[in-house]
Amino acid sequence: MPGVERLLPERRRHVVTKGDGTAVLPECGRPTVPGLVSERACAFYGARWMLGAIPDVIHLVHGPAGCAYFGGIVRRKSYRVFSTQLEESDIVFGAGEKLYRAILEAVAAAPGARAVLVYATCTAGLIGDDLDGICRRAARAVGRPVVPVNSPGFCGYSQAAGHDIAAGVLLEHFIGTGKAQEPVANGVNLLGEFDVMGDLGEIERLLQQLGLRILCAFSGRAATTAMADAHRARLNIVHCRRTGQRLADAMQERFGTPQLKVSFFGFEETASALHSIGKFFGSAGVEEIVEQGRREVGNAAPFLKKLAGKRVALFFGASRIGTMARAFAELGMEVVMIGSQFGCLEDYGDAGARVRAGTVLIDDPPEKELEEFIRKYRPHLFVGGTKEKYLATKLGVPFLVFPQEMSSFAGFRGFVNLAREAAGLVGAPVWRLARCERYYRTLQTAEG
Amino acid sequence: MRLREIPVDGIPYDRLCVEKIPAAPEYIARDPELVPASNRSVVVNPNRICMPIGAMWAVLGVHRAIPFVQGAQGCTTYARYTFCRIFKEPATIATASFHEDAAVFGGRKNVIEGIRNLVVRYWPGLIGVVTTCSSEIMGDDMVSFLKEARARLSREIGREKTEEIPIVLINTPSFAGSHVEGYDRASKAFLESLATTRDVLSERVNIIPGMLYPGDIREIRHLLEEMNVEGTVLFDISDTLDAPLNPPQEIPYYPPGGTPVSEIRQMANARATFALQPHAGGSGARYLERKFGIPAFIGPVPIGVAATDAFLQNLSRITGREIPASLRDERGRLVDAMADTLHHTMMKRVAIFGDPDVVIGMTRFACELGMTPVAVSSGTPSKTFEGEIESIFREYRELFLAEPRVFNGGDLFEFEEYLKTLPQIDLILGHSKGVDISRELEIPLVRVGFPIYDRFGYQKKPVVGYRGAELLLYEIVNELLDYRYPDDRTQQL
Ligand code: SF4
Repeated sequence: MPGVERLLPERRRHVVTKGDGTAVLPECGRPTVPGLVSERACAFYGARWMLGAIPDVIHLVHGPAGCAYFGGIVRRKSYRVFSTQLEESDIVFGAGEKLYRAILEAVAAAPGARAVLVYATCTAGLIGDDLDGICRRAARAVGRPVVPVNSPGFCGYSQAAGHDIAAGVLLEHFIGTGKAQEPVANGVNLLGEFDVMGDLGEIERLLQQLGLRILCAFSGRAATTAMADAHRARLNIVHCRRTGQRLADAMQERFGTPQLKVSFFGFEETASALHSIGKFFGSAGVEEIVEQGRREVGNAAPFLKKLAGKRVALFFGASRIGTMARAFAELGMEVVMIGSQFGCLEDYGDAGARVRAGTVLIDDPPEKELEEFIRKYRPHLFVGGTKEKYLATKLGVPFLVFPQEMSSFAGFRGFVNLAREAAGLVGAPVWRLARCERYYRTLQTAEG
Repeated sequence: MRLREIPVDGIPYDRLCVEKIPAAPEYIARDPELVPASNRSVVVNPNRICMPIGAMWAVLGVHRAIPFVQGAQGCTTYARYTFCRIFKEPATIATASFHEDAAVFGGRKNVIEGIRNLVVRYWPGLIGVVTTCSSEIMGDDMVSFLKEARARLSREIGREKTEEIPIVLINTPSFAGSHVEGYDRASKAFLESLATTRDVLSERVNIIPGMLYPGDIREIRHLLEEMNVEGTVLFDISDTLDAPLNPPQEIPYYPPGGTPVSEIRQMANARATFALQPHAGGSGARYLERKFGIPAFIGPVPIGVAATDAFLQNLSRITGREIPASLRDERGRLVDAMADTLHHTMMKRVAIFGDPDVVIGMTRFACELGMTPVAVSSGTPSKTFEGEIESIFREYRELFLAEPRVFNGGDLFEFEEYLKTLPQIDLILGHSKGVDISRELEIPLVRVGFPIYDRFGYQKKPVVGYRGAELLLYEIVNELLDYRYPDDRTQQL
């Protein structure tokens, strides 16, 4: 890291460089240092991320207008949100009754909803209404589950706390509540798959070739009916450890569903995912599917030429850092940094094992550290979220948003998309044009 | 060489199904009792954000200033996302990072350490401390915390350096109002703490634009220049949130521009203050008037002909400068465009929603175009909103095709349900949250106001001034044409 001495002392152990052989990992899962421009979000954000896409329930945000307004957009899609929109008088006199009435009204306004999720935000957490009690009382009145999601923004250290809270809610109230018990012979669940830009469709296509059927994808396709049936799956496929592992473990314990941690990003990962899933089900024809995939991935060849040897920095949510590092290595790029807002030791271990010595592993970097990193390593491509995008751009570094915003990156075809987008960004004329000082200078010498 | 590619392009439109009415594929008629927002405790799709983001917006308009948000991380991160999406620019905002311990013991430690860390990492020109619901509920005594923070800083970096970095405290309890009020409070807080002495009087005027985009602020500057008037724009985001791409950059990256702190200090010496949006910035102007007797011109936001006229006339009156021929020509071109397009705009029924002042401005402009505003909604409730809208209606009522309905502080659900009951609407004017409504009702939407995050370039296109109105007019007309004659074989203009 650029002049480690410039890091705040509290931050020093969060940044490590992979040495030869020795796997040192950054410290992680710690409170955020106050006063920095943190890239982390709050527990409420994490809970919305996990639960926002559940279609057949009412999402009721118990808090001021802001939380509800912001929480209406999840993974770049906007959803209908209900809110108690707390105001000054509610803070003073308590908001319990208001919440109760709001639940009843919300159900009256959307009578088809199968359940109500009540999200507690900072405000709700601090005024200390008896959320559980109110929800129980309301549930009796509306005749369907009213489930508290206790996710005030200050709990935990990042959105990861919200993921856990949400997973707890799903396990306790939704998963496996259906009556039918007999297993679906070819049924699988995807845990930690959010269907960003059609990823789920691509994965489903591959699984279908193996003769498998997705019962429920948490939470890219997780209607309450699908979750109720999820215990009938023969296998839980964990696609994102951060958001899926907890569900998988609990389901294994409760229903005995075995689990497999795989990834569908990159050719090798996808192929090995198909192999292990195929092996589990004893499916025939895995080889053909992989061969077909290899042919499809061949389409990426022209892009790979442009990417060979280019440096890439990765910074995004936790457990995909490892598999994405491998995918970028397959593109022929050199991974120079891997970071995450809320990775755990396992995530960094995974990632560290997949990259070369000299790669920087960084936990919860605030904006300034990312800037310093960019200055020192000048990556040819930076991969991360929207917040970081415009900063990198201003510093002249091409930026790929991940989770992606244009096309699916999952599976074999998604890999070609990844190659195509990365190559398009890295080689774009705009970066040359942006260096206008050099441009003026050449202009002058040409004239002079 | 031809690049071959596999076209898996995102989610096709027919699969992009964002469920709006849970579990109900068929339309469920609403209980009419539940439609008016005032009958409900529950709010569906709020049409406003909360206070802190308005204050952060303001701080980002000051040169080398960084907002410090006294709250949990989400408030900051969500706001940064929002700014990034709207402006396509980085937004550097620091957070006090409240965790559970802060929720129990208060945010004293966070602010003291936080200010120190922010300073040694960024050396900002100013820190705007923005509070949130959590710190306000816990009753953080911010004034004394900030004193302690300063003392700590002094010990570490010396008194002199500490004094070079002003800290402005803006109290914005989220539950007490909307983003509009957050901005308003910021305007007062900045002037109270920085514009403290009236000594060397100047000819300058103060402009507090309210939450207007960079394009609008540039247009205001253009008007001032043509009038030959020098002015200070408070919270000038025109460069900070619309910066050129010009690498390599210094680190840490600070965007160019923003109102210099020294200029804010001089605002007490100005000749007059123009708060273009009464709800967002009015307090600042009123403060200067009360304290120093600086005349305050509060509103209307110069959208459309009459409001721009009023702005320029006031400016001319207070500075003694004539309105130049160049601006008269701009006005003439706008009016000409209005005449040219009249057959398309007249008698159109339009629904307008957004922040109160912009909605008032849009409503007046729509009336000037011969339209009928059938529904007008301000997301932020306001004491003056209804009165102002009524006074516009009085002037134009005889032209109206239907009786307009005014919503003061309702949610988007109420607005949408009301529009569904109307026999005819031709156009919606409002921000990006209206896309859903526009799709659902199959009525074109012209994007104006805050926030617009789903299209490019709107933050650069002015709506204020004569030129802004002209651009907006074209947008309106073209949207109507696109909708009615999507194909040029059916309509030769
Ligand atoms: S930090 Fe708290 S107040 Fe802010 S968005 Fe998250 S839950 Fe809401």
